[in-house]
Amino acid sequence: MSGKVAVASWKTILATTLMTGAAVAGAQSPQSVNAPPPPAPPPVATQPPRAAADMQAVLDAMAALGAKPIEQLTPAKARLQPTAADGARTVMRRQGMSTAPDPAVTTRDVPYGSDPMQYARVYRPAAAPAGASMPVVIYYHGGGWVIADVNVYDATPRLLAKQLNAVVVSVEYRHAPEFKFPAQHDDAAAAYRWVLQNAASWGGDPAKLVLAGESAGGNLAVATAIYARDNGLAQPRHILSVYPIANSDMNLPSRRDSANAKPLNTPMLAWFGHYYSNGPADMQDPRINLVRANLRGLPPTTIVNAQIDPLRSDGETLAQAMRGAGVRVEQRTFPSVTHEFFGLGKVVRGAYDAETYAIGRVKASLTK
Amino acid sequence: MKFLTILAPAMVVAAPAAAQVMTPADYVATAGASDLYERTSSQIVLESTADPKVRSFAQMMIAQHGKSTADVKAAAARSRVKAPPPSLNPLQTELVAQLRSEAGPARDMAYVAQQKASHNQALTVQQAYAADGTAPALKAAAGAIVPVVQQHIEMLKSM
Repeated sequence: MSGKVAVASWKTILATTLMTGAAVAGAQSPQSVNAPPPPAPPPVATQPPRAAADMQAVLDAMAALGAKPIEQLTPAKARLQPTAADGARTVMRRQGMSTAPDPAVTTRDVPYGSDPMQYARVYRPAAAPAGASMPVVIYYHGGGWVIADVNVYDATPRLLAKQLNAVVVSVEYRHAPEFKFPAQHDDAAAAYRWVLQNAASWGGDPAKLVLAGESAGGNLAVATAIYARDNGLAQPRHILSVYPIANSDMNLPSRRDSANAKPLNTPMLAWFGHYYSNGPADMQDPRINLVRANLRGLPPTTIVNAQIDPLRSDGETLAQAMRGAGVRVEQRTFPSVTHEFFGLGKVVRGAYDAETYAIGRVKASLTK
Repeated sequence: MKFLTILAPAMVVAAPAAAQVMTPADYVATAGASDLYERTSSQIVLESTADPKVRSFAQMMIAQHGKSTADVKAAAARSRVKAPPPSLNPLQTELVAQLRSEAGPARDMAYVAQQKASHNQALTVQQAYAADGTAPALKAAAGAIVPVVQQHIEMLKSM
């Protein structure tokens, strides 16, 4: 019996490898956080372009904090690794800057479901007057749906709340492999409905709604806009999607030129897929493979990418697909920065530029 | 025959995968470091905080993370696993340095932010070992610590 299972999963792996030319883990991994990582894909010699000195300082700090290669770890061990945000705070402390959260914004954690992970962190400008009617940003954090949480991704929602004078709702969601795809998309959609109902009680105006997210959360921002369109819900005015997971083709240019990039490399993308998917079919689901989704009628969209990032081509091809579907979309790739650069504007110049660009785009769509 | 020769190495790769839980020694060291960080950071915030909610939470952390270290140490002895004095890892050392660099309400805010992140990590460690740990006494200790950490996480949601 176990022999038959082994042969079957071997065939799946072989078929997947032949089809994509890359080591996407085909067999379903168990739901345990101790499930071993997928086999290592064949090494790629291509080295990524050099990062700007201020970006490299963050990556060096991350390494000095002991960051191990995620793709070689179990989910439990991967969740203990230092993040780019940890690296950035280390650099800030060394430069004499405060690493404490900006007190110009207050937060409150509020549940939207019965699972302990189904809650959101509501960010409000501390100076917001009672009875204010502010824009509302629904924000989804990254981490490949396996690692990281609202705590790791504090910088962007806090910055958006301050700069847009908005209520920002940073949505936590159940993680894989304990809960596999589409649990994260289901939670993102449930949180969207919940925000529409509750925004006014936080001083938010649900008519001035923005969907935003980074990495896996950049995917959720677009996927949830599609969900809202298909379910006749109030539409966002704008989508801000920062280096989204959007294309399941493992042969995209960035998958090769940034195969060995940090803090995200191409083997990590296969690692995430191994844990969040129920099998290769999920990778073709339009909620993950957004470039093949029906994108018609989506609101104006801004896509931000980093040059040194295996997900760069995802953003570029998603912008093409959206343009083809008649969406007003603008996409920019920022040079000499890596995945996770967005939100590090206090110490990385390219991040400051990207934040200024993105916030300007969102502001313009809210004042129309 | 030739086909089987090619197949054999691939089958090793695809064989049903056993859990790769931390070793007992790893668990003892990781849980001990996590508790040590909780107590150290809580002591630092107690030196300066004027917020009664932060004060009572920090006092509770010192007491309860002291207890969990004692419980893990006792379980390690029953499992015949060495439990050397814990030490902070590089990230925890940096977090402590960051707290020391802040003063007043900024330190309180940094402390609460760190507690939220570190408790989620502590829960990961305890749940992972409680699920698949190989040393029975340590596995039971981890299982008993899980609801304590979950309670801390729920308290932090109101801070």
